[in-house]
Amino acid sequence: MARAFSAGRRGITGFLEPAERDLLRKLFTDIITMLEPDTPAHEDPLAALIGLDMDVSVPVDPALLRLLPDAVKDDADSALEFRQLTERSLRETKIGALRAASLGLESEKLVLNAEGAKLWAMALNDVRLVLAERLEIRDEEDAERIHEVQDWGDADDVESYLSLVYNFVSWLQESLVQAMLSAMARSK
Amino acid sequence: MSVSTAPETDREVSTRELISPDIPWELIVWNDPVNLMSYVSYVFQSYFGYSEAKAAKLMLEVHTEGKSAVAHGSKEKMEAHAVAMHGFGLWATVQKGGPRG
Repeated sequence: MARAFSAGRRGITGFLEPAERDLLRKLFTDIITMLEPDTPAHEDPLAALIGLDMDVSVPVDPALLRLLPDAVKDDADSALEFRQLTERSLRETKIGALRAASLGLESEKLVLNAEGAKLWAMALNDVRLVLAERLEIRDEEDAERIHEVQDWGDADDVESYLSLVYNFVSWLQESLVQAMLSAMARSK
Repeated sequence: MSVSTAPETDREVSTRELISPDIPWELIVWNDPVNLMSYVSYVFQSYFGYSEAKAAKLMLEVHTEGKSAVAHGSKEKMEAHAVAMHGFGLWATVQKGGPRG
């Protein structure tokens, strides 16, 4: 079983079992695949450089939409325009965090500085957003219901399996963020 | 707000007034049942540089009210913040500031 993250003099440390690392690696890879743009970088080198993407559209997959939400509410035109200017770089930011976290899985002991911990927290958060969408967690009651699934002996269907994975990743992220908050409080 | 049937030319004028740089914009962060309260608090502290107390207050406002205006300023700045929030996985939108703006 994974140990909770802790903040110490050498940074934030955590320990994961091989099976947990395999699971996380698979989850990170799945989400990297979701986030990789369908269309190649724009032909125009300047447009590619600034991340402009005129072919972008609102994601059809609700989980992808949760990762790449509209930045303007109730105004589809402005939201799309914003997406054209920013979505490609947002995808790259997220993929970067997921890749960094995935690389960290090479060793069973994790030792993270503030930046590494941030990338890990971002990656775990994106995993949880996607799992939550698949589990249809829409409100606090849904979240509570999923939270109650705690026994791996009950993992007899996809939903209960995903619920257990979600709860594990939530526990891991909470433990990491608590360690990050205490490291931040200590450095003030 | 009343429904306007003003001719096109009038609408042009009011649009120009609304995007005047003098009017402050705001960044709204929306509640969701997934993001951890600790994580939201961490993002507000580390990204905006808010104190622990201010971050906690805004985080609780998001949690209980469903949303909170967490930053105010120019449109460009609020848009950059929105992208950063989306990077963290928080859902944020940009809008023209309200009366308190």
